[in-house]
Amino acid sequence: MRPATLLVPAGILALILWSWHGTRFDLIGLLSADGRAQMLTYVQRLFPPDLSPDLLRKVAYWSLETFAISFMGTLLSVAVALALVFFASRNLVFTGVLFEVDEAGRPIRIARIGLYVVARALLNLLRTVPHIVWALIFVFAVGLGPFPGVLALGLHTGGVLGKLFAEVVEDIETQPLEALQAAGASRLQIFFYGVLPRVLPQFLAYSLYRWEVNIREAIILGYVGAGGLGQQIQIAISLFLENKLLTLILAIYLMVTMVDYSSAYLRRRLL
Amino acid sequence: MSEPVYRLEVLTKIFDGTLTAVNGVDLTVRPGEKVAVIGPSGAGKTTLFRLLNLTVRQTAGRLWIAGQEIGDLHGARLREMRRKIGTVYQQHNLVPRLRVTHNVLAGRLGTWSLPQALRSLVRPREEDLRAAHRALSQVGIPEKLWARTDELSGGQQQRVAIARVLLQNPEVILADEPVSSVDPTLAHGIVKLLVELCSTFHKTLVMNLHSVDLALAYFPRVIGFRDGQVAFDRSPDEISDDLLTDLYAGRLTSVSAEDSPDAVPETIRSGTPLLRPQ
Amino acid sequence: MPYPKPSEAALPSSDHSRSLFPILFGICFAAAFVGSWQLAQIQPGLLFEAEGRRNMARFITGMFPPDLSLNFLRFLVVPFFETIQISVMGTVLAIAIGFPLSLLGTASLAHAGILNDLEIAGSPGRRLARTLPYVLARTVMSAFRCIPEFVWAFMFVRAVGLGPFPGVLAIGVSYGGMLGKVYSEILENLETQPSEALQATGASRWKILIYGMLPQALPQLVSYTLYRWECAVRASAILGFIGAGGLGQQIELSMRMFNFHEVVTLILILFLLVAAVDFLSARARKAIV
Repeated sequence: MRPATLLVPAGILALILWSWHGTRFDLIGLLSADGRAQMLTYVQRLFPPDLSPDLLRKVAYWSLETFAISFMGTLLSVAVALALVFFASRNLVFTGVLFEVDEAGRPIRIARIGLYVVARALLNLLRTVPHIVWALIFVFAVGLGPFPGVLALGLHTGGVLGKLFAEVVEDIETQPLEALQAAGASRLQIFFYGVLPRVLPQFLAYSLYRWEVNIREAIILGYVGAGGLGQQIQIAISLFLENKLLTLILAIYLMVTMVDYSSAYLRRRLL
Repeated sequence: MSEPVYRLEVLTKIFDGTLTAVNGVDLTVRPGEKVAVIGPSGAGKTTLFRLLNLTVRQTAGRLWIAGQEIGDLHGARLREMRRKIGTVYQQHNLVPRLRVTHNVLAGRLGTWSLPQALRSLVRPREEDLRAAHRALSQVGIPEKLWARTDELSGGQQQRVAIARVLLQNPEVILADEPVSSVDPTLAHGIVKLLVELCSTFHKTLVMNLHSVDLALAYFPRVIGFRDGQVAFDRSPDEISDDLLTDLYAGRLTSVSAEDSPDAVPETIRSGTPLLRPQ
Repeated sequence: MPYPKPSEAALPSSDHSRSLFPILFGICFAAAFVGSWQLAQIQPGLLFEAEGRRNMARFITGMFPPDLSLNFLRFLVVPFFETIQISVMGTVLAIAIGFPLSLLGTASLAHAGILNDLEIAGSPGRRLARTLPYVLARTVMSAFRCIPEFVWAFMFVRAVGLGPFPGVLAIGVSYGGMLGKVYSEILENLETQPSEALQATGASRWKILIYGMLPQALPQLVSYTLYRWECAVRASAILGFIGAGGLGQQIELSMRMFNFHEVVTLILILFLLVAAVDFLSARARKAIV
């Protein structure tokens, strides 16, 4: 066996062992009689879920609030992504078939490339800062509540979607665009006739998929004070209200499943 | 005597400083002419076409279109010039997800402002619809006005591409291997359609062809192109078998006639056409 | 030059299907929009108020210059490695949980398709015995992945204490559900011919799985798992916020103490880490396919 073929599996094994050690992965402890008993007790404390009408009413409200955060957050992110994508796609800004013959002067060319660089950098900034950090920043700026959650999701996901959208735009076939250009269409006309019809369906698919991710993210944002079910989970755990915790978990499960199904349904129907 | 539609003087195109695709070509095409260009693949025919329809800029030499020298054109004037040249490509001319009517009406984009173009996308004007319908009738598929373009067959899509060019109403039509991706039984029909439309509407036609038979059958002027240069420029009855063999020589060995679309046709010249014209 | 003359004949009509769907969709969307605007208490004005602007300014000025002192960077080595370790162990655990579940949850292995038809035919008892584990596995995977890892992390922190261990468990469980579902989908979408051929030789389902299905599915399985690892790195950073170690925990501490110049450094490091992982993962995936 060549040493090279052994290298990769050996490397992976080493990585795993190192990680096992570093994270203090205590499989034995977990599976020991003591560990199992502890987990069992904890799980037993969760049941039965607290189904008092008062709590259910509140949970319904918090669920809708979380839904609202994910919904508005996703819409904002689509708006942000759309605003930036067309400056962040090389083939629309400075290179490719739309720019071959119609060369503008050097300063304009440099300005175009600059525009592209700035757009890409902005998208990178938006997506690298974790949404939870954005949430903290906005809680800072506008106070507690669901609004900072919307802003955080909108900006962070905007960066993620913007990059995905730009990849879609940069991947489209150039020939239909070339044909439109040869007929004398201006760049903007080519954009509306040739680019948009091609990319919109994929934009929609990515946005719907991202909505599924956002409903989960909206929950974690609650932890830093951005409202919704996440905030309630933190409270329930700190106050040892395990029955309430189970109710919340069930609500989350229902909410997430509902959004997953809606997203899949819309993707089937609209595409 | 009116200006030539095309005048090329030592026209040259070199890619990346190393690949000479078009090598000092001199050529004149008069209004109303029908010219076929044949030659082995890689000869530079497509690059020549892209120079002629202003998709690429020449590296050296001079080009006049309808009497106007193409120097440093850009912006609105470049678009205006492009509008005078209609192009039919081998395939993928059209935007798949649009309806046929929008693809056909795209021929008018050169004369429309942006708001007009957008309006047409949402709700085309009655007169535009009638014009598109008329053009589609002339190419034989009027009933497809509202069909989605990607639902049409290859041959039908080529007809839509031709309808678009009709709406564009250019002075010259360039066709770059328009039937190479089409079912061979339909090829004659499409070439004949283009030739007849150009005669009817007094347009100049320059067509890149893979099939020598089609070229010899329908065009009074045939140009052999090889290695970026014009090898010969004659009428069909002046073209001998030897001339054709020289043109394609050295290209037969690596390709088998059956499996590659770039393969040279089996009979370079036959007394009877390979296929019966329709 | 004559334009194609306008046609006098009747134009074919645009058959844009007049279904009810667009209208229904529009109404639902509008309702969701208005309702969500209210519930999420959207007040764009707040962003521009004096107080808000002051706080944002404080935040932005506090960020520069970023804390790049050797002391601080040295201090971050452990959390940095911790984040990587959490992501690796979390993914390993996810595979350990997700793979067996996926085998049970693959319809073509459990109760449907050519591998099972003849066996089950005519015996409702056998059909039940096959279908039950399938349904259970699917439900478990669904529960695992629909409950966000953050919630799992919270519960595990309560169960086993702070540190990287609960983070690993949280990622392991929730990603296990995700991996399981996708593994099942990959296995179900394989071509059936190789399996059919093996079955004809009398091989059991296990053998068909090992000799037929897995080799075929392996590139896709590995590719998706690598992608999940990329996500795990980001997730470990975030779980750190609630005490599961790694860079996330440091970000939380720095933010709580308003040390924004430290936060910037941490985000930069996180960015580099994620970029490196993305790059490695993309390379590895290309090598497999």
